[in-house]
Amino acid sequence: MLAIGIAEVEKIKGIFIIVGNFGSGKTEVSINLAVNQKRAGVDVKIADLDLVNPYFRTREARKALAKLGIEVVVPEEKYLQADLPILSPVISGLIRQPSDLTLIDAGGNDVGATVLAALADSFRNKRVHMLQVVNPFRPFTDTIESCLKMRNEIERASKMTIDGIIGNANLIDETSVDDIYNGYDFVKTLSGETRLPLKFITAPVELLPDIDMGHFSCPVLPIERQLVPPWKKAADLKR
Amino acid sequence: MGKILMKGNEAIGEAAIRAGCLNYFAYPITPQSEVAEYLSRRMPEVGGVFLQGESEVAVGYMLFGAAGCGARVFTTSSSPGISLMSEAISYISSAELPVVFVNIVRGGPGLGGILPSQADYFQATKGGGHGDYRLLVMAPASVQEAVDMVMMAFPLAEKYRNPVMILGDGLIGQMMEPVEFSDHLKSEPSNKDHWATSGMDTRKSKERNLVKSLFLDAQQLEEHNLVLKAKYDRMKQEEVRYEPYNIDSDYRALIVSYGTMSRVCKTAIDNMKAEGIEAAMIRPQTLFPFPINPIREAASKEGCQAVVTFELSMGQMVEDVERSVQGKRPVYWHGKAGGEIPTPEEVIDAVKSFIKP
Repeated sequence: MLAIGIAEVEKIKGIFIIVGNFGSGKTEVSINLAVNQKRAGVDVKIADLDLVNPYFRTREARKALAKLGIEVVVPEEKYLQADLPILSPVISGLIRQPSDLTLIDAGGNDVGATVLAALADSFRNKRVHMLQVVNPFRPFTDTIESCLKMRNEIERASKMTIDGIIGNANLIDETSVDDIYNGYDFVKTLSGETRLPLKFITAPVELLPDIDMGHFSCPVLPIERQLVPPWKKAADLKR
Repeated sequence: MGKILMKGNEAIGEAAIRAGCLNYFAYPITPQSEVAEYLSRRMPEVGGVFLQGESEVAVGYMLFGAAGCGARVFTTSSSPGISLMSEAISYISSAELPVVFVNIVRGGPGLGGILPSQADYFQATKGGGHGDYRLLVMAPASVQEAVDMVMMAFPLAEKYRNPVMILGDGLIGQMMEPVEFSDHLKSEPSNKDHWATSGMDTRKSKERNLVKSLFLDAQQLEEHNLVLKAKYDRMKQEEVRYEPYNIDSDYRALIVSYGTMSRVCKTAIDNMKAEGIEAAMIRPQTLFPFPINPIREAASKEGCQAVVTFELSMGQMVEDVERSVQGKRPVYWHGKAGGEIPTPEEVIDAVKSFIKP
């Protein structure tokens, strides 16, 4: 599965903040991007800034990531199940001393992005990228206008600027090849409207054999699903 | 419209709008706050109302008042919030008003935790509030089923003039699955002039509709309770819903489980089949009325050695399962109540421990 993926196209370096609306897939994308880059030889750290949603966060997958040598920064163990907005001081430390690639998985909507403004001191004098994850099969980002609205709200709350788009069209287990093509067309249009580059799109790893890669002008990040309900098994992440 | 990807809580909110409910009163509490978040945005778009009460006690009586006026209303909350509403639920039941309650259950007792739980089974099916009343209780096992049940809940509440409760554990509210919605229902109860205080009851030409739950005369209160009992008996006859799984196999164990826990049990049943061990499941979709006869029949099948109830509680539903099985087979319970969900492997080990090798 390593044959296709964004590692083949480019190694990503720097500090990347992953934002988007609730349930756009920020966490699944962050985890898979971290794994993809680690496999390509990039040193990766990932921080879970999701202070909004206590279910399904990066911290759920941290054991699998740790096995691959990816450091996951989360609040202290004793606060792990607390429904409290805890911003670990480790996170500002992480930003001050970043890895080759430092991924920051922010919380959903403008509410989740608000905390980024609190990190302004740490971000000062750093080149920081902020990418918006878009799944057009989610409510409130199913039209170009609503994606622009989401972008404005997140930028206002975080006091930062989004500089790229990640297309994450999916219906989880029910995603079809057509959904991937339609989702690509949607984010391509969004990219044209916003003049923001389309950094990459995603596709479930199981669908890759059926997808014509020539269809896309951007890289494709394969998704090996990690955030699964308890009756399903997370994909086994090989080195 | 094709499928979209929704969180259970968002889908519940959208389903209520599609069911024609334009009045939503609530107070936020994890793990269901996304319903309020979603509807605070959507209700103004469709000309509806979301009003956040100052507490769940207030919300309970907002629902009482609005339903009494003939409006289609609903609320969502989680365990401690439903406890606070329980007085109003008793009053609403006695006043025979249709209201839909959604409880996205968190761990208890007390303030408990915010992770998934099914520990409000007793509260939903046996009371919670005071007096001889029953709620029609439905328990979804997927986001799509949560949508379908919300759509069904409003017509059922109006048919019986009785509160309907959707009981979902925290995971049903928090997880995302693809869903689709059917067409909108009309936005007013068709039979509202049977009770609404907006005018006369068209069936009784000279009587004004009166919403009340106070009956000081013994004979009147007795008659009122008999009317309610007849309704609950009719629900038992007409509204039992359940899903059988692998029931045509030569199963050695019968599992009874609902909601999120039943999804884990399905995976366990599939995995056991691969090992050559057959187990079947009855998944109650209504918790009241409870599928007593289907469980008794399935448990009585030759070769079935044990009935095992899996729950995210310390064994609340097991009492109804025992009542159904009537001693024909041994009934066991396995579950957790802290917020962790048993794995398929754990379910398999438990089933194996209750049957002969």
